[in-house]
Amino acid sequence: MSATGRLLREFQSLRERRPLRLLGASGQLGYGIPTAAFEAGLAQKPDLIGCDMGSIDIGPSYLGSGKMATARKSTKRDLRKVLLGARRLDIPLIIGSAGSAGARPHLEATLELIREIAREERLSFRLAWIPGDIPRDVLISAVQEGRVTGIEGMQALTAEEVGQAAHIVGQMGMAPFREAIEADVDVIIAGRACDTAIFSTLPVLLGFPEGLAVHMAKIIECASLCCLPGGRDSILATIDDTGFVLESMAPQRRATPVSVAAHALYEQSDPYVILEPEGQARLENATYVALDDRRTRVSGAQWAPAAQATVKLEGACRVGERAVLLCGSADPIFISRRDEIVKQVEAVVRELVCEDSEEDYRLHWHFYGVDGVTDRRPERPLPVEVGVVAECIAPTAERASEVTRTLKQYLLHLGYEGRLSTGGNLAFLFTPPEITIGTAYRFNIYHVLQCTGEEGLFPVTVEQV
Amino acid sequence: MFLKELARVIRSKNAGPRCITLDVLFENDDAYRRVVQSDALSREAVAQLYGVTVSDVRVFHHPIARAIKIAMPRKITAGDPGDRDVYGAQQHGRLLEVRV
Repeated sequence: MSATGRLLREFQSLRERRPLRLLGASGQLGYGIPTAAFEAGLAQKPDLIGCDMGSIDIGPSYLGSGKMATARKSTKRDLRKVLLGARRLDIPLIIGSAGSAGARPHLEATLELIREIAREERLSFRLAWIPGDIPRDVLISAVQEGRVTGIEGMQALTAEEVGQAAHIVGQMGMAPFREAIEADVDVIIAGRACDTAIFSTLPVLLGFPEGLAVHMAKIIECASLCCLPGGRDSILATIDDTGFVLESMAPQRRATPVSVAAHALYEQSDPYVILEPEGQARLENATYVALDDRRTRVSGAQWAPAAQATVKLEGACRVGERAVLLCGSADPIFISRRDEIVKQVEAVVRELVCEDSEEDYRLHWHFYGVDGVTDRRPERPLPVEVGVVAECIAPTAERASEVTRTLKQYLLHLGYEGRLSTGGNLAFLFTPPEITIGTAYRFNIYHVLQCTGEEGLFPVTVEQV
Repeated sequence: MFLKELARVIRSKNAGPRCITLDVLFENDDAYRRVVQSDALSREAVAQLYGVTVSDVRVFHHPIARAIKIAMPRKITAGDPGDRDVYGAQQHGRLLEVRV
Protein backbone atom coordinates (compact mmCIF):
# COMPACT_ATOMS: atom_id res chain seq x y z
CA MET A 1 0.00 0.00 0.00
CA SER A 2 1.20 3.50 -0.79
CA ALA A 3 1.43 6.61 1.39
CA THR A 4 -2.03 8.13 0.84
CA GLY A 5 -3.77 4.77 1.07
CA ARG A 6 -2.08 4.03 4.38
CA LEU A 7 -3.05 7.41 5.80
CA LEU A 8 -6.69 7.04 4.74
CA ARG A 9 -6.83 3.54 6.23
CA GLU A 10 -5.30 4.73 9.50
CA PHE A 11 -7.91 7.47 9.88
CA GLN A 12 -10.73 5.08 9.00
CA SER A 13 -9.63 2.79 11.82
CA LEU A 14 -9.44 5.57 14.44
CA ARG A 15 -12.37 5.90 16.79
CA GLU A 16 -11.48 9.57 17.33
CA ARG A 17 -9.67 11.67 14.74
CA ARG A 18 -6.12 12.46 15.73
CA PRO A 19 -4.61 15.83 14.75
CA LEU A 20 -3.03 15.94 11.28
CA ARG A 21 0.40 17.48 10.74
CA LEU A 22 1.19 19.18 7.43
CA LEU A 23 4.58 20.51 6.42
CA GLY A 24 4.58 23.53 4.08
CA ALA A 25 8.03 22.99 2.60
CA SER A 26 8.14 25.80 0.08
CA GLY A 27 5.96 28.53 -1.35
CA GLN A 28 8.15 28.84 -4.45
CA LEU A 29 9.74 25.50 -5.16
CA GLY A 30 12.81 26.01 -7.33
CA TYR A 31 14.18 29.07 -5.53
CA GLY A 32 15.79 27.08 -2.73
CA ILE A 33 14.45 25.32 0.37
CA PRO A 34 16.51 26.05 3.51
CA THR A 35 17.75 22.63 4.63
CA ALA A 36 17.88 23.17 8.40
CA ALA A 37 14.21 24.15 8.72
CA PHE A 38 13.10 21.43 6.28
CA GLU A 39 14.98 18.77 8.28
CA ALA A 40 13.53 20.17 11.51
CA GLY A 41 10.12 19.77 9.89
CA LEU A 42 10.80 16.14 8.98
CA ALA A 43 11.85 15.50 12.60
CA GLN A 44 8.31 16.53 13.64
CA LYS A 45 7.01 13.49 11.74
CA PRO A 46 4.52 15.28 9.46
CA ASP A 47 1.73 13.36 7.69
CA LEU A 48 2.16 15.27 4.43
CA ILE A 49 4.68 17.46 2.65
CA GLY A 50 3.24 20.09 0.34
CA CYS A 51 4.85 22.64 -1.96
CA ASP A 52 3.45 25.34 -4.18
CA MET A 53 5.54 25.75 -7.30
CA GLY A 54 3.83 28.48 -9.29
CA SER A 55 1.73 31.58 -9.53
CA ILE A 56 0.14 34.01 -11.97
CA ASP A 57 2.06 36.86 -10.29
CA ILE A 58 5.17 36.23 -12.38
CA GLY A 59 3.50 37.58 -15.49
CA PRO A 60 2.35 36.13 -18.81
CA SER A 61 5.72 35.11 -20.26
CA TYR A 62 6.09 31.73 -18.53
CA LEU A 63 2.53 30.62 -19.22
CA GLY A 64 2.85 31.77 -22.83
CA SER A 65 6.26 30.27 -23.55
CA GLY A 66 5.89 27.06 -21.55
CA LYS A 67 9.17 27.75 -19.78
CA MET A 68 9.89 27.57 -16.06
CA ALA A 69 10.79 30.71 -14.11
CA THR A 70 13.30 28.81 -11.97
CA ALA A 71 16.63 27.39 -13.12
CA ARG A 72 16.66 23.67 -13.94
CA LYS A 73 19.47 22.96 -11.48
CA SER A 74 17.90 24.70 -8.47
CA THR A 75 14.51 23.24 -9.32
CA LYS A 76 15.98 19.75 -9.39
CA ARG A 77 17.79 20.38 -6.10
CA ASP A 78 14.54 21.40 -4.39
CA LEU A 79 12.57 18.53 -5.90
CA ARG A 80 15.25 16.07 -4.78
CA LYS A 81 15.11 17.46 -1.24
CA VAL A 82 11.34 17.13 -0.85
CA LEU A 83 11.11 13.82 -2.70
CA LEU A 84 13.85 12.21 -0.57
CA GLY A 85 12.26 13.64 2.59
CA ALA A 86 8.82 12.29 1.76
CA ARG A 87 10.12 8.87 0.74
CA ARG A 88 12.31 8.63 3.87
CA LEU A 89 9.22 9.18 6.06
CA ASP A 90 7.01 7.27 3.61
CA ILE A 91 4.42 10.10 3.55
CA PRO A 92 2.64 11.76 0.64
CA LEU A 93 4.29 14.60 -1.27
CA ILE A 94 1.95 17.01 -3.07
CA ILE A 95 3.21 19.68 -5.48
CA GLY A 96 0.87 22.15 -7.17
CA SER A 97 1.25 24.52 -10.14
CA ALA A 98 4.19 22.53 -11.46
CA GLY A 99 6.92 24.36 -13.32
CA SER A 100 5.87 27.95 -12.50
CA ALA A 101 2.75 28.32 -14.64
CA GLY A 102 1.29 24.81 -14.53
CA ALA A 103 0.60 24.22 -18.23
CA ARG A 104 1.44 20.97 -20.04
CA PRO A 105 5.12 21.78 -20.84
CA HIS A 106 5.68 22.91 -17.24
CA LEU A 107 4.13 19.73 -15.87
CA GLU A 108 6.11 17.55 -18.26
CA ALA A 109 9.40 19.26 -17.39
CA THR A 110 8.66 18.77 -13.69
CA LEU A 111 7.74 15.10 -14.16
CA GLU A 112 10.93 14.57 -16.15
CA LEU A 113 12.95 15.93 -13.23
CA ILE A 114 11.03 13.72 -10.76
CA ARG A 115 11.71 10.59 -12.85
CA GLU A 116 15.36 11.59 -13.27
CA ILE A 117 15.80 11.99 -9.52
CA ALA A 118 14.04 8.67 -8.91
CA ARG A 119 16.52 6.92 -11.24
CA GLU A 120 19.53 8.61 -9.65
CA GLU A 121 18.37 7.87 -6.10
CA ARG A 122 16.97 4.41 -6.95
CA LEU A 123 13.54 5.36 -5.63
CA SER A 124 10.37 3.54 -6.51
CA PHE A 125 6.91 4.95 -5.82
CA ARG A 126 3.41 5.51 -7.16
CA LEU A 127 3.15 8.86 -8.88
CA ALA A 128 -0.08 10.66 -9.79
CA TRP A 129 -0.05 13.59 -12.17
CA ILE A 130 -2.87 15.95 -13.06
CA PRO A 131 -2.67 18.32 -16.05
CA GLY A 132 -4.18 21.76 -15.45
CA ASP A 133 -4.79 22.57 -19.13
CA ILE A 134 -8.26 23.50 -20.37
CA PRO A 135 -9.15 22.03 -23.78
CA ARG A 136 -10.03 24.76 -26.27
CA ASP A 137 -13.25 23.07 -27.44
CA VAL A 138 -14.52 22.78 -23.86
CA LEU A 139 -13.81 26.45 -23.27
CA ILE A 140 -15.35 27.63 -26.54
CA SER A 141 -18.55 25.70 -25.76
CA ALA A 142 -18.65 27.30 -22.32
CA VAL A 143 -18.14 30.75 -23.88
CA GLN A 144 -21.02 30.11 -26.28
CA GLU A 145 -23.21 28.98 -23.38
CA GLY A 146 -22.44 32.20 -21.49
CA ARG A 147 -20.64 30.43 -18.65
CA VAL A 148 -17.36 32.40 -18.84
CA THR A 149 -17.00 35.79 -17.14
CA GLY A 150 -14.07 38.21 -17.16
CA ILE A 151 -12.42 38.91 -13.82
CA GLU A 152 -12.05 42.52 -12.67
CA GLY A 153 -12.63 44.24 -15.97
CA MET A 154 -11.30 41.63 -18.41
CA GLN A 155 -13.24 41.84 -21.66
CA ALA A 156 -15.74 39.15 -22.63
CA LEU A 157 -13.93 36.10 -23.94
CA THR A 158 -14.26 35.17 -27.61
CA ALA A 159 -13.52 31.99 -29.52
CA GLU A 160 -10.83 33.97 -31.35
CA GLU A 161 -9.01 34.83 -28.10
CA VAL A 162 -9.25 31.20 -27.02
CA GLY A 163 -7.63 30.23 -30.31
CA GLN A 164 -4.85 32.78 -29.92
CA ALA A 165 -3.80 31.73 -26.41
CA ALA A 166 -0.54 29.77 -26.41
CA HIS A 167 -1.57 27.90 -23.26
CA ILE A 168 -4.77 27.91 -21.22
CA VAL A 169 -4.90 26.55 -17.69
CA GLY A 170 -7.47 26.39 -14.94
CA GLN A 171 -6.81 26.53 -11.23
CA MET A 172 -7.94 23.08 -10.13
CA GLY A 173 -9.55 22.81 -6.72
CA MET A 174 -9.82 19.93 -4.27
CA ALA A 175 -11.74 17.44 -6.44
CA PRO A 176 -8.84 16.26 -8.66
CA PHE A 177 -6.47 16.13 -5.66
CA ARG A 178 -9.03 14.05 -3.81
CA GLU A 179 -9.21 11.63 -6.73
CA ALA A 180 -5.39 11.34 -6.72
CA ILE A 181 -5.21 10.85 -2.95
CA GLU A 182 -7.87 8.12 -3.14
CA ALA A 183 -5.85 6.38 -5.88
CA ASP A 184 -3.33 5.21 -3.25
CA VAL A 185 -0.21 7.09 -4.34
CA ASP A 186 3.00 8.47 -2.84
CA VAL A 187 3.58 11.58 -4.93
CA ILE A 188 1.09 13.94 -6.61
CA ILE A 189 2.26 16.49 -9.17
CA ALA A 190 -0.44 18.86 -10.38
CA GLY A 191 -0.47 21.42 -13.15
CA ARG A 192 -2.05 24.79 -12.39
CA ALA A 193 -3.82 24.44 -9.06
CA CYS A 194 -5.24 26.54 -6.26
CA ASP A 195 -2.34 26.93 -3.86
CA THR A 196 -4.75 26.01 -1.06
CA ALA A 197 -5.89 22.70 -2.55
CA ILE A 198 -2.38 21.25 -2.13
CA PHE A 199 -2.88 21.33 1.64
CA SER A 200 -6.65 21.46 2.21
CA THR A 201 -7.74 18.36 0.27
CA LEU A 202 -6.32 15.73 2.63
CA PRO A 203 -7.73 17.21 5.87
CA VAL A 204 -11.12 17.80 4.23
CA LEU A 205 -11.13 14.22 2.96
CA LEU A 206 -10.35 13.01 6.49
CA GLY A 207 -13.29 14.98 7.89
CA PHE A 208 -11.66 18.11 9.30
CA PRO A 209 -13.79 21.27 8.87
CA GLU A 210 -13.40 22.84 5.41
CA GLY A 211 -13.16 26.42 6.67
CA LEU A 212 -10.25 25.58 8.94
CA ALA A 213 -8.52 23.43 6.33
CA VAL A 214 -8.71 26.14 3.66
CA HIS A 215 -7.64 28.91 6.04
CA MET A 216 -4.68 26.80 7.18
CA ALA A 217 -3.79 25.94 3.58
CA LYS A 218 -3.83 29.58 2.52
CA ILE A 219 -1.28 30.39 5.22
CA ILE A 220 1.14 27.47 4.92
CA GLU A 221 1.34 27.50 1.13
CA CYS A 222 3.64 30.51 1.63
CA ALA A 223 5.86 28.57 4.10
CA SER A 224 7.01 30.88 6.94
CA LEU A 225 5.93 34.13 5.29
CA CYS A 226 3.22 34.53 7.98
CA CYS A 227 5.91 34.85 10.68
CA LEU A 228 7.95 37.64 12.18
CA PRO A 229 10.34 37.97 10.47
CA GLY A 230 8.74 36.37 7.42
CA GLY A 231 10.80 33.91 5.42
CA ARG A 232 10.82 30.91 3.12
CA ASP A 233 11.65 28.29 5.76
CA SER A 234 9.32 25.32 6.11
CA ILE A 235 6.31 25.66 8.40
CA LEU A 236 4.35 23.02 10.32
CA ALA A 237 0.58 23.19 10.75
CA THR A 238 -1.26 20.84 13.10
CA ILE A 239 -5.00 20.76 12.49
CA ASP A 240 -7.72 19.30 14.74
CA ASP A 241 -11.51 19.59 14.75
CA THR A 242 -11.61 23.11 16.19
CA GLY A 243 -8.49 24.87 14.97
CA PHE A 244 -4.90 24.64 13.79
CA VAL A 245 -1.53 25.54 15.24
CA LEU A 246 1.24 27.15 13.18
CA GLU A 247 4.93 26.83 13.96
CA SER A 248 7.84 27.84 11.76
CA MET A 249 10.58 25.25 11.53
CA ALA A 250 13.18 28.04 11.67
CA PRO A 251 13.75 29.00 15.32
CA GLN A 252 14.10 32.73 14.65
CA ARG A 253 10.70 32.98 12.92
CA ARG A 254 7.74 33.54 15.24
CA ALA A 255 4.15 32.91 14.22
CA THR A 256 2.36 35.55 16.33
CA PRO A 257 -1.39 36.28 16.34
CA VAL A 258 -0.80 39.61 14.60
CA SER A 259 1.64 38.26 12.02
CA VAL A 260 -0.62 35.31 11.16
CA ALA A 261 -3.75 37.48 10.96
CA ALA A 262 -1.89 39.96 8.76
CA HIS A 263 -1.00 37.19 6.32
CA ALA A 264 -4.68 37.10 5.28
CA LEU A 265 -3.99 40.41 3.54
CA TYR A 266 -1.18 39.12 1.37
CA GLU A 267 -1.99 38.97 -2.34
CA GLN A 268 -5.71 38.83 -1.53
CA SER A 269 -8.14 41.49 -2.70
CA ASP A 270 -10.48 40.88 0.28
CA PRO A 271 -8.76 39.93 3.56
CA TYR A 272 -11.89 38.21 4.94
CA VAL A 273 -12.62 35.87 2.03
CA ILE A 274 -10.63 32.98 0.53
CA LEU A 275 -12.39 32.15 -2.72
CA GLU A 276 -12.13 28.52 -3.86
CA PRO A 277 -13.75 26.56 -6.70
CA GLU A 278 -15.97 24.71 -4.21
CA GLY A 279 -16.94 27.66 -2.03
CA GLN A 280 -15.36 30.26 0.19
CA ALA A 281 -13.72 30.36 3.59
CA ARG A 282 -14.99 33.38 5.56
CA LEU A 283 -12.57 34.79 8.10
CA GLU A 284 -14.74 37.41 9.86
CA ASN A 285 -14.91 35.27 13.02
CA ALA A 286 -11.36 33.94 12.91
CA THR A 287 -9.43 34.15 16.18
CA TYR A 288 -5.70 34.01 16.72
CA VAL A 289 -4.26 32.98 20.10
CA ALA A 290 -0.59 32.74 21.03
CA LEU A 291 0.37 29.36 22.53
CA ASP A 292 3.84 30.71 23.27
CA ASP A 293 6.06 33.27 21.57
CA ARG A 294 6.58 31.09 18.47
CA ARG A 295 3.25 29.32 17.96
CA THR A 296 -0.25 30.61 17.25
CA ARG A 297 -3.52 28.72 17.29
CA VAL A 298 -6.12 29.80 14.74
CA SER A 299 -9.84 29.01 14.88
CA GLY A 300 -13.16 30.29 13.65
CA ALA A 301 -13.01 30.29 9.83
CA GLN A 302 -16.40 29.37 8.36
CA TRP A 303 -17.04 27.52 5.12
CA ALA A 304 -19.74 28.63 2.68
CA PRO A 305 -20.13 26.11 -0.13
CA ALA A 306 -20.73 27.48 -3.63
CA ALA A 307 -24.06 26.72 -5.31
CA GLN A 308 -22.09 25.90 -8.44
CA ALA A 309 -18.39 25.08 -8.75
CA THR A 310 -16.20 27.54 -10.65
CA VAL A 311 -12.71 27.39 -12.14
CA LYS A 312 -10.44 30.38 -12.56
CA LEU A 313 -8.91 30.37 -16.06
CA GLU A 314 -5.60 31.82 -17.18
CA GLY A 315 -4.31 32.14 -20.71
CA ALA A 316 -1.45 33.99 -22.36
CA CYS A 317 -1.03 34.85 -26.03
CA ARG A 318 1.89 36.08 -28.09
CA VAL A 319 2.02 39.81 -28.76
CA GLY A 320 5.20 39.94 -30.84
CA GLU A 321 8.98 39.87 -30.52
CA ARG A 322 10.64 42.26 -28.13
CA ALA A 323 13.88 44.24 -28.35
CA VAL A 324 15.03 46.89 -25.90
CA LEU A 325 17.49 49.75 -25.92
CA LEU A 326 19.14 50.37 -22.55
CA CYS A 327 20.77 53.74 -21.97
CA GLY A 328 20.82 56.81 -19.76
CA SER A 329 21.11 60.57 -19.80
CA ALA A 330 22.52 63.14 -17.40
CA ASP A 331 21.74 66.17 -19.55
CA PRO A 332 19.15 68.45 -17.88
CA ILE A 333 17.94 69.82 -21.22
CA PHE A 334 17.47 66.33 -22.67
CA ILE A 335 15.64 65.24 -19.52
CA SER A 336 13.30 68.21 -19.46
CA ARG A 337 12.51 67.93 -23.18
CA ARG A 338 12.13 64.13 -23.24
CA ASP A 339 8.49 64.14 -24.41
CA GLU A 340 9.19 66.16 -27.56
CA ILE A 341 12.44 64.24 -28.13
CA VAL A 342 10.48 60.96 -28.13
CA LYS A 343 8.02 62.32 -30.71
CA GLN A 344 10.82 63.68 -32.88
CA VAL A 345 12.95 60.54 -32.87
CA GLU A 346 9.94 58.27 -33.43
CA ALA A 347 9.15 60.27 -36.59
CA VAL A 348 12.75 60.01 -37.82
CA VAL A 349 12.83 56.26 -37.21
CA ARG A 350 9.41 55.72 -38.81
CA GLU A 351 10.54 57.46 -41.96
CA LEU A 352 13.61 55.24 -42.19
CA VAL A 353 12.30 51.80 -41.21
CA CYS A 354 8.93 52.20 -42.90
CA GLU A 355 10.35 53.23 -46.26
CA ASP A 356 9.69 49.75 -47.63
CA SER A 357 7.56 48.19 -44.87
CA GLU A 358 4.45 48.98 -42.87
CA GLU A 359 4.56 50.55 -39.43
CA ASP A 360 4.16 47.15 -37.86
CA TYR A 361 5.84 47.77 -34.49
CA ARG A 362 5.08 49.56 -31.25
CA LEU A 363 7.46 51.54 -29.06
CA HIS A 364 7.13 51.92 -25.29
CA TRP A 365 9.32 54.41 -23.47
CA HIS A 366 10.41 54.15 -19.86
CA PHE A 367 12.26 57.04 -18.23
CA TYR A 368 13.58 55.68 -14.96
CA GLY A 369 13.99 58.49 -12.46
CA VAL A 370 10.94 60.30 -13.80
CA ASP A 371 7.99 57.95 -14.28
CA GLY A 372 9.48 54.58 -15.18
CA VAL A 373 7.86 52.80 -12.23
CA THR A 374 4.58 54.59 -11.55
CA ASP A 375 2.24 56.80 -13.58
CA ARG A 376 2.71 59.73 -11.26
CA ARG A 377 4.07 62.83 -12.96
CA PRO A 378 6.94 64.39 -11.03
CA GLU A 379 6.13 67.53 -9.05
CA ARG A 380 9.64 68.07 -7.79
CA PRO A 381 12.68 69.27 -9.74
CA LEU A 382 13.69 66.74 -12.38
CA PRO A 383 16.38 64.21 -11.50
CA VAL A 384 19.99 64.85 -12.52
CA GLU A 385 20.12 61.46 -14.27
CA VAL A 386 17.54 59.24 -15.92
CA GLY A 387 17.67 55.67 -17.12
CA VAL A 388 16.01 55.17 -20.48
CA VAL A 389 14.53 51.92 -21.69
CA ALA A 390 12.99 52.02 -25.14
CA GLU A 391 11.04 48.86 -25.82
CA CYS A 392 10.02 47.73 -29.29
CA ILE A 393 7.50 44.98 -30.01
CA ALA A 394 7.40 43.88 -33.64
CA PRO A 395 6.17 40.88 -35.64
CA THR A 396 9.67 39.36 -35.88
CA ALA A 397 12.85 39.56 -33.81
CA GLU A 398 14.68 40.82 -36.89
CA ARG A 399 12.23 43.68 -37.29
CA ALA A 400 12.34 44.58 -33.59
CA SER A 401 16.13 44.60 -33.77
CA GLU A 402 16.14 46.77 -36.90
CA VAL A 403 13.84 49.35 -35.31
CA THR A 404 15.78 49.41 -32.04
CA ARG A 405 19.19 49.75 -33.72
CA THR A 406 17.92 52.60 -35.85
CA LEU A 407 16.35 54.21 -32.82
CA LYS A 408 19.62 53.98 -30.91
CA GLN A 409 21.58 55.72 -33.60
CA TYR A 410 19.13 58.57 -34.16
CA LEU A 411 18.35 59.12 -30.47
CA LEU A 412 22.09 59.30 -29.82
CA HIS A 413 22.58 62.09 -32.34
CA LEU A 414 19.17 63.79 -32.40
CA GLY A 415 19.51 67.58 -32.80
CA TYR A 416 16.67 68.49 -30.48
CA GLU A 417 15.61 72.05 -29.68
CA GLY A 418 17.97 73.75 -27.22
CA ARG A 419 20.69 71.08 -27.34
CA LEU A 420 24.13 72.13 -26.08
CA SER A 421 25.73 68.69 -25.98
CA THR A 422 26.62 67.65 -29.54
CA GLY A 423 28.86 64.71 -28.65
CA GLY A 424 25.97 62.28 -28.12
CA ASN A 425 22.72 62.31 -26.20
CA LEU A 426 23.07 58.97 -24.44
CA ALA A 427 25.33 57.08 -22.07
CA PHE A 428 25.58 53.36 -22.82
CA LEU A 429 26.25 50.90 -20.02
CA PHE A 430 27.76 48.51 -22.55
CA THR A 431 27.59 47.85 -26.25
CA PRO A 432 25.59 46.61 -27.98
CA PRO A 433 23.03 48.60 -25.98
CA GLU A 434 20.11 47.10 -27.90
CA ILE A 435 19.10 43.55 -27.09
CA THR A 436 16.56 41.16 -28.55
CA ILE A 437 14.92 39.52 -25.57
CA GLY A 438 12.41 37.08 -27.00
CA THR A 439 8.68 36.78 -27.38
CA ALA A 440 6.34 39.19 -25.61
CA TYR A 441 3.13 37.71 -24.22
CA ARG A 442 0.05 39.15 -22.53
CA PHE A 443 -2.70 37.61 -20.44
CA ASN A 444 -5.66 37.38 -22.78
CA ILE A 445 -7.62 35.03 -20.52
CA TYR A 446 -8.27 35.74 -16.86
CA HIS A 447 -11.83 34.59 -16.50
CA VAL A 448 -14.10 32.44 -14.37
CA LEU A 449 -15.76 29.32 -15.76
CA GLN A 450 -19.10 28.31 -14.23
CA CYS A 451 -18.94 24.53 -14.24
CA THR A 452 -21.74 22.29 -15.42
CA GLY A 453 -20.55 18.77 -15.99
CA GLU A 454 -16.85 19.61 -16.15
CA GLU A 455 -15.99 17.06 -13.44
CA GLY A 456 -13.43 15.35 -15.66
CA LEU A 457 -11.63 18.57 -16.57
CA PHE A 458 -8.52 17.59 -14.63
CA PRO A 459 -7.91 13.87 -15.28
CA VAL A 460 -5.64 11.96 -12.91
CA THR A 461 -3.01 9.57 -14.27
CA VAL A 462 -1.15 7.14 -12.01
CA GLU A 463 2.18 5.59 -12.93
CA GLN A 464 4.66 3.38 -11.16
CA VAL A 465 8.07 5.05 -11.01
CA MET B 1 2.15 63.54 11.07
CA PHE B 2 3.09 61.38 8.10
CA LEU B 3 1.60 57.89 7.64
CA LYS B 4 5.14 56.51 7.38
CA GLU B 5 5.81 57.60 10.98
CA LEU B 6 2.81 55.61 12.23
CA ALA B 7 3.04 52.47 10.09
CA ARG B 8 5.24 49.41 10.50
CA VAL B 9 4.68 48.20 6.93
CA ILE B 10 3.52 50.05 3.82
CA ARG B 11 3.48 47.79 0.77
CA SER B 12 1.81 47.14 -2.56
CA LYS B 13 1.28 43.92 -4.51
CA ASN B 14 -0.98 42.48 -7.18
CA ALA B 15 -3.91 40.29 -6.22
CA GLY B 16 -4.13 38.74 -9.64
CA PRO B 17 -3.14 40.58 -12.84
CA ARG B 18 -6.12 42.94 -12.75
CA CYS B 19 -6.00 44.15 -9.15
CA ILE B 20 -3.48 46.13 -7.11
CA THR B 21 -3.59 46.09 -3.34
CA LEU B 22 -1.99 48.34 -0.76
CA ASP B 23 -1.42 47.16 2.81
CA VAL B 24 -0.63 49.41 5.75
CA LEU B 25 0.26 47.57 8.97
CA PHE B 26 0.68 49.26 12.36
CA GLU B 27 2.84 48.44 15.34
CA ASN B 28 0.16 49.24 17.93
CA ASP B 29 -3.57 49.76 18.29
CA ASP B 30 -3.26 53.51 18.91
CA ALA B 31 -1.56 54.13 15.59
CA TYR B 32 -4.02 51.84 13.80
CA ARG B 33 -7.06 53.56 15.34
CA ARG B 34 -5.69 57.02 14.69
CA VAL B 35 -5.42 56.32 10.96
CA VAL B 36 -8.73 54.44 10.74
CA GLN B 37 -10.53 57.34 12.43
CA SER B 38 -8.92 59.91 10.14
CA ASP B 39 -9.75 60.44 6.48
CA ALA B 40 -6.15 59.80 5.45
CA LEU B 41 -6.90 56.44 3.81
CA SER B 42 -10.55 56.90 2.93
CA ARG B 43 -11.77 55.67 -0.45
CA GLU B 44 -11.92 59.28 -1.62
CA ALA B 45 -8.38 60.06 -0.50
CA VAL B 46 -6.99 56.91 -2.15
CA ALA B 47 -8.92 57.56 -5.35
CA GLN B 48 -7.47 61.05 -5.57
CA LEU B 49 -3.94 59.87 -4.78
CA TYR B 50 -3.96 57.13 -7.43
CA GLY B 51 -6.13 58.80 -10.05
CA VAL B 52 -8.91 56.21 -10.00
CA THR B 53 -12.67 56.57 -9.47
CA VAL B 54 -13.95 56.35 -5.90
CA SER B 55 -16.33 53.49 -6.67
CA ASP B 56 -13.37 51.35 -7.80
CA VAL B 57 -11.58 51.63 -4.45
CA ARG B 58 -12.24 49.13 -1.66
CA VAL B 59 -10.88 49.76 1.84
CA PHE B 60 -10.84 47.02 4.50
CA HIS B 61 -10.11 47.51 8.19
CA HIS B 62 -8.55 44.56 9.98
CA PRO B 63 -8.23 45.30 13.71
CA ILE B 64 -6.70 41.93 14.66
CA ALA B 65 -3.90 42.36 12.15
CA ARG B 66 -3.83 46.12 12.95
CA ALA B 67 -3.97 46.67 9.22
CA ILE B 68 -5.73 48.63 6.53
CA LYS B 69 -6.04 47.02 3.13
CA ILE B 70 -6.89 48.84 -0.06
CA ALA B 71 -7.79 47.14 -3.33
CA MET B 72 -8.34 48.77 -6.72
CA PRO B 73 -8.19 47.77 -10.37
CA ARG B 74 -4.89 47.99 -12.22
CA LYS B 75 -4.96 50.48 -15.07
CA ILE B 76 -2.92 48.07 -17.21
CA THR B 77 -3.12 44.29 -16.85
CA ALA B 78 0.08 42.94 -15.28
CA GLY B 79 2.67 42.20 -17.96
CA ASP B 80 0.79 43.83 -20.85
CA PRO B 81 2.94 45.96 -23.17
CA GLY B 82 3.28 49.34 -21.49
CA ASP B 83 3.01 47.97 -17.94
CA ARG B 84 5.58 49.44 -15.57
CA ASP B 85 5.40 47.07 -12.62
CA VAL B 86 4.50 43.44 -13.35
CA TYR B 87 4.28 42.38 -9.68
CA GLY B 88 2.82 45.70 -8.55
CA ALA B 89 5.34 45.79 -5.72
CA GLN B 90 6.41 49.44 -6.18
CA GLN B 91 3.11 51.29 -6.19
CA HIS B 92 3.12 52.11 -2.48
CA GLY B 93 5.51 55.07 -2.62
CA ARG B 94 2.98 57.88 -2.61
CA LEU B 95 1.41 56.49 0.60
CA LEU B 96 4.58 57.42 2.47
CA GLU B 97 3.78 61.08 1.92
CA VAL B 98 0.20 60.85 3.19
CA ARG B 99 -0.46 63.08 6.21
CA VAL B 100 -2.65 61.90 9.05
